[in-house]
Amino acid sequence: MGVEPKKIIEVKNVRKIYRMGNEKIYAVDDISFDIYEGEFCCLLGSSGSGKSTLLNLMAGIEKLTSGQIIMKGQPIHKMNETRLARFRQKYLGFVFQSYNLIGTMTALENVELPLVFKRTPKKKRKTMAKEMLVKVGLKNRLQHKPKEMSGGQQQRVGIARAFVAKPSIVFADEPTGNLDTKTTMEVMNLIREIARDNHQTIVMVTHDQSLAEYADRVIRILDGKVQSIETIKEETNVEEENNGVVGDTADSNCVN
Amino acid sequence: MRISDLIKMGLRNLSRRKARTGLTVLGVIIGTISIVIMVSIGIGMNNSFDKQFMENGAMTVIRIEQYGSIIDDEGNWLGSKEQVLDDNLVDMVRQVDHVKAVAPVLDTSAMLYSGKYETYISLRAIGHEAFAEFGYPELISGAYPTAENNRSVVIPSYVLENYFYNPNSRNYETVAIDPKEDELIFKFNEWRYVRNERKKEFKLDLTNVAIMEESDNWEHNSYVYFDMDYYKEIYTQYANTLKLEDRKKAMAELDTYSYIMINVDNIKNVTQVQEDIEALGYVTYSEMQYLEPLKQTSDMLQMVLGAIGALAMMVSAINIANTMVMSIYERTKEIGIMKVLGCLVKDVKKLFLFEAAMIGLLGGIVGIALSYLASFAINKYGGPLFQTLMQSSGVYDVGDAKFSVIPFWLPFLASGFAMLIGVLAGYFPARRATKISAIEAMKTDS
Ligand SMILES: Nc1ncnc2c1ncn2[C@@H]1O[C@H](COP(=O)(O)OP(=O)(O)O)[C@@H](O)[C@H]1O
Ligand SMILES: [Mg+2]
Repeated sequence: MGVEPKKIIEVKNVRKIYRMGNEKIYAVDDISFDIYEGEFCCLLGSSGSGKSTLLNLMAGIEKLTSGQIIMKGQPIHKMNETRLARFRQKYLGFVFQSYNLIGTMTALENVELPLVFKRTPKKKRKTMAKEMLVKVGLKNRLQHKPKEMSGGQQQRVGIARAFVAKPSIVFADEPTGNLDTKTTMEVMNLIREIARDNHQTIVMVTHDQSLAEYADRVIRILDGKVQSIETIKEETNVEEENNGVVGDTADSNCVN
Repeated sequence: MRISDLIKMGLRNLSRRKARTGLTVLGVIIGTISIVIMVSIGIGMNNSFDKQFMENGAMTVIRIEQYGSIIDDEGNWLGSKEQVLDDNLVDMVRQVDHVKAVAPVLDTSAMLYSGKYETYISLRAIGHEAFAEFGYPELISGAYPTAENNRSVVIPSYVLENYFYNPNSRNYETVAIDPKEDELIFKFNEWRYVRNERKKEFKLDLTNVAIMEESDNWEHNSYVYFDMDYYKEIYTQYANTLKLEDRKKAMAELDTYSYIMINVDNIKNVTQVQEDIEALGYVTYSEMQYLEPLKQTSDMLQMVLGAIGALAMMVSAINIANTMVMSIYERTKEIGIMKVLGCLVKDVKKLFLFEAAMIGLLGGIVGIALSYLASFAINKYGGPLFQTLMQSSGVYDVGDAKFSVIPFWLPFLASGFAMLIGVLAGYFPARRATKISAIEAMKTDS
C-alpha cells in the first residue's frame, strides 16, 4: 500500500433539497468529504439525519440539487442512465436493509444477477456465484429460494450478490437493520473480511453506534450536515498503523 | 443482458402469474381465431365466386350487339338501342388498347333436313380464327374450320340428339341424327325472301360436319357454326336464287353484323375497354358488368368480417397492455433492484417487450391451431348458414364449395400479426417500466 492514500469518492458541497409543497427539506446540506480506497467508512446518524439520501447521491441513485460527486475520477452526477448502469456493473455493489432478493430466483440465480446484466458468460458466472456463496457459508443453500431461508441467510446471499462482480466499492444501507444482534455480528464480520481480502471500499449507513467499531472511519451526520469525522483505532498491528496515517489525514478534513 | 438470459427471465416472469398470463393469452387466442376464421371465410367466398363466374363465363369477352341493352349501374335494363355494326366498326375496335381479338358475328336462322326429319336451327357465322381465340368447346369428331378448309360446319351434339323431328308425325317426337350415317341437307328459311321461279331452290348437302361436345354454356349447345367466308359464299349462292328485289335486300344483310365479340387481354382491363368503346358511341355488354356490383357486395361483406376479427384483436391488445401495466406495478421494486444492480434501461425495455410479444405469439400459435379446427367444423357443419350468407352476395352455386379456406400464408401472417399486436400493446408499458427509478430499490416500506 502506498503512503499517500488514494481518494476513491469525492463528495464536494453536495446538497439535496426536497420540496414538499412550499416547504424545503434540506436532506443533505452542503456536505463535503472524501472516501479512500480500501477503507470501511461508516455514515452514522440518527433516523432522518440524511444518511440514506447521502448514500443514494453517492451511488448515483438520486440526482443531487447542487455540488459534485466524483467516483474513481468520474463525475457521477453528470452521467446518464446508461453510463451509470455500466459504471455500476463495473465498480459498484449494493447491500440492502431488506435484502432485496428476487423472490422467484434461487440463491444462486440471485447472486448471478449482476453478472447476467454484465453479460458474463454462463459458465464463468455460475462458478463465480458458487464461489461467492461458499465464501458466505451457504454452499448447502444454492438452490433455495429466499422464502426458504432465514433473514441472516438471505442477507448472506445479498452480500454474495454485492461482491460477486468484484466491485471496487460496496454501498450498504442499514445492512443489519432487520437482523438480531448475533446475526448482525456475523454479517458485519463477513462484509469486513471479504472487503479486506480484496481491498474493496465499503460505505455503510447505520444509526447503530455499536456498528461503528467495525469501520475504519466514522462520519457522523446530523440534520444533513457532517458533524464529525473520526478514525477508529484498533489493536495495533502493522497494517492498522498504516491506517492510522490515513486517519490523520482524514481528521484534518473534520468539520468540527 | 444476453438474449438467452432475457428469454429465460421473461418466461419466468410470465409463468409466475400463470392464471393472469393464461387469461391474457386466451384473449389473443380468441382474437386470432376471429381474424383467421373471418379471413378464411372471405377467401372461401371469393373462391366460390371465382369458380362460379370465371369458369363458365368467358370473363374477358365484351360484345357489341345490334340491339344493345342499356343497363344502369345496378344492372337494371332501361331499354335498347339499335346500332350499325359494320367492318368499319370492327376495324375501329381493333385499335382499342388491350383488345386481343375481335370477331364479327352473323346470326340467322335456317333449316336442316335428314330424310323425313327436320329442324329449325340458329346459325352463327364467325371468322375461323375466332374458334381458337374465343375458346370454343372440344369437338367429338371433325375439325373447326380453318383457312385451308373453311367448309367444315360445326353442329353441337345437343342439336343432333334433341332437335330433329318428323313434322308429319302426331307427337313430334325427336330423334337423334348421326351425320356419318344420315344425310344432312341445309336450306335457308323459305319465308323470308321470294325465290325466282326460274331458278332451282338453294340446297346444301352437308358432308363435312364437325360435332361439338355438350357444354355448360347454352349458347354453344344451340348454334350451328359456319366459317364467315364460307357462309358469305353460300349465302351469295342462295341470294342468286331469289327474285331481283329480294336479292338486293338479302345481300345487304351481309354488310351489318348481329354482334361483335371482343376478347380483352386481361380481366382487369374489361371495364376500361368497355368504357373506350362506349366513348365511340356504342353500347356494350359483358359478364363483368353484372359481376361488378355482386363483387362489391361480396367485398363489403368480407370487409365487415375482417372488421369483426380486427375488433377482437384490438380487445386482446388492450388486454395485453393491461396485463403488462399490472405486471409493472407489481414489479416496481424488482425493476428498481435490477437497475441498482446494473441492468441497462434498454434491457428493461426489451424484457417487457419480450413478455408482451410472447403473450401475443403464444396466443397466435394456439389460436391458429384452433382456427384449423374451427375451419374444419365450418366446412363440415356450417353449410346451411353459409349458403344463405353467400347467396346474399351473389354466389348461388355453392355445391361442394368450401366456406372457410386457410391458405398457407395465413397462419404465418396471423402469428406475426399477433406478435406485433403484443409488441405494440407492450410498448408503452415497457417504456413506463424504464422510467421506474433505481430509488425504488432503496425504499424499505414494503
Ligand atoms: N423522497 C423524499 N421526499 C421528501 N423528503 C424526503 C424524501 N426522502 C427523504 N426525505 C427526507 O429527508 C430527510 C433525510 O432522510 P433519510 O436520508 O432517509 O434519513 P436517514 O436515512 O438518515 O434516516 C428526512 O427528513 C426525510 O423525511
Ligand atoms: Mg435511512
